[in-house]
Amino acid sequence: MIFVIAALLAVAGWRCEPIVTTFDDIEEAEYYQAADIPTTLPITPDTLLVMTWNIKYGGGDIDFWWSCYDDRVLMTEEEVLSNLELVADYIYQADPDILMLQEVAVDSKQAAYVDQMQYLLDHTNLNYGVYASMWRVQNAPSDGLGRTDLGLAILSRWPLDSAERIGLPLRTDQDPLTTYFYLRRCILKARIPDLNDIHVVNVHTSAWQAETKVKHVNRFKEELDAINADGGLFVAGGDLNTLPPGSQIISDFRDNKCGAGDFEGGDYSGEEHWLDDLYADYDTAIPREEYQSADDQAPYFTYGDKPDSLGFTRKLDYLFTNHLDGWVLSSDSTHQDIATAGTTLSDHCPVSARIELP
Amino acid sequence: MITLTGSRTSRCIVLLSYLLAFTSAATAMDNARWSAGTAYTLPEGRWEKGLFQPLRYGQTERLEWATHPVLNLVVPNLRVKVAHREFRGWALATRHGFHYPTPLLRLVKRPGIGGLISPESDIPDIPHILAARSELLATRVISPSLWLTGKGGVSIALKTGEMDERTTIDLPVVFPRMALFLHGYQLNLGMDLLGKLRGRWAIWADVDLLMIPGAEESFSLEHKGMAIWSRSERFQVLIGYKLVYGAYPHYPRARTQWHLLPLLDLQWARQRKAKR
Repeated sequence: MIFVIAALLAVAGWRCEPIVTTFDDIEEAEYYQAADIPTTLPITPDTLLVMTWNIKYGGGDIDFWWSCYDDRVLMTEEEVLSNLELVADYIYQADPDILMLQEVAVDSKQAAYVDQMQYLLDHTNLNYGVYASMWRVQNAPSDGLGRTDLGLAILSRWPLDSAERIGLPLRTDQDPLTTYFYLRRCILKARIPDLNDIHVVNVHTSAWQAETKVKHVNRFKEELDAINADGGLFVAGGDLNTLPPGSQIISDFRDNKCGAGDFEGGDYSGEEHWLDDLYADYDTAIPREEYQSADDQAPYFTYGDKPDSLGFTRKLDYLFTNHLDGWVLSSDSTHQDIATAGTTLSDHCPVSARIELP
Repeated sequence: MITLTGSRTSRCIVLLSYLLAFTSAATAMDNARWSAGTAYTLPEGRWEKGLFQPLRYGQTERLEWATHPVLNLVVPNLRVKVAHREFRGWALATRHGFHYPTPLLRLVKRPGIGGLISPESDIPDIPHILAARSELLATRVISPSLWLTGKGGVSIALKTGEMDERTTIDLPVVFPRMALFLHGYQLNLGMDLLGKLRGRWAIWADVDLLMIPGAEESFSLEHKGMAIWSRSERFQVLIGYKLVYGAYPHYPRARTQWHLLPLLDLQWARQRKAKR
């Protein structure tokens, strides 16, 4: 009897998960691959199409409670699969070589427990993936969210290695219990040995609390600087949740519906120069001059609370490289066609550009 | 994109409700006499109450009723145990109970912190649910210091409407009991072993299997191990663990998972003086 109990406890100790998964500052990311992998690797091209996209957990045009347009929290399985099919189709058509994703759900009640990493690998031309969780709890005791595992992903045609999850500072304006259960944002970094060891760096910075957000932006820059100082080549990107320098509108966006005290993410006053160093040291897919000199910056906007009716209203998503002049001229695209009247694939649209391999 | 909100007072109320509901479920809902989980009823006039366990009262030598007074505020509940004639050395009892979980489920279907069920308008209101369980218990005294009890039963849930699958709380101990509300029926089988050790110490171990044949998340196997220290006939301390291996919602099919939970309870008892 004692032996049986000891054995059961040993098994449980091995298999049990913590209520909230905390992460080391740096730890290995999780590797995925498509169910069907081609037997031969694609030929190494002269240029690569790189794309970043915040896919909103496959939420499509559903208005979640944080947008203040509706009160939706949990999607049905049918909704998730139907939205993911459209997202996968779009990625398949765009045909990127490297894709950085934000807001991917792999084991979340909110997304009907569909493993979106595996789904996208199985339904696109991308074969390999790495994933870093930014929120893994057995039960998020708020708004009925329940079990949650959401995070960042890098998908590639070629195998990835040296994948790391790099932790970002936690918010400092919450009580300890809330902080414990809250998001633990991160940077996801990986290398592609078959492409001159190029580094891919993906980030999703805090949408709330400026003090935390600027720390995230600076930490992202430090990571890029470290690769650059080591003589490495990188493509980096993600949802930085802040505006480019020289943005014409920085507050009072037409799609902002949340009132004071709710999800206040719509005022970027004081953040005007947070990306100056990134823009100064590295090349952006959409050049600073092009953006700043545009009479109408709307074609560059990547985010909207309700893009299917009010359009995209600001630019939050970026691509950078340290391969100066490496972006192929005019190859950049801000894919606002993911939203049409009455429907959208996400509240963010993808940004893509082609880069030359040195 | 996500925040956790809610006033401190409302958080505390909801947190306390969870603690009570969860620990009551996790510790013995099946405790009889100072010695739990048996087919014996409490002696006439004796009552027992634990921090997290229900209040039990021996109405007669053969009839015991139990209810959780605090939990009654959000989950009205009542259970009776009736002792029957012994059969070939086995003490027999039947236990019948009901609970009405709708108020608690509606309480936790709320926005902000403490919201264990999504408050979104896309999910219909929690219907009125009346859950009832009947079970048979059989206890054999293997030796004066070792009692073995087997039990089996069936539960049904009557509802005034359908429950949306998203209203489940996918936690150990809780989910298997909510699955009854979703599917409307459940079977349970179990075994308890109570052993007296030296002095004031005893151990209590049980295994319970909750099953919903035909459902995707069809089972939960729960084992509890507790050390009991009895200071007297009137007070005891229970400390131990609950180990759960069960099936939970997932895609494309249910997932199985282990959980290990700590258990602690204090129990008090009194004997009403017999009428002259």
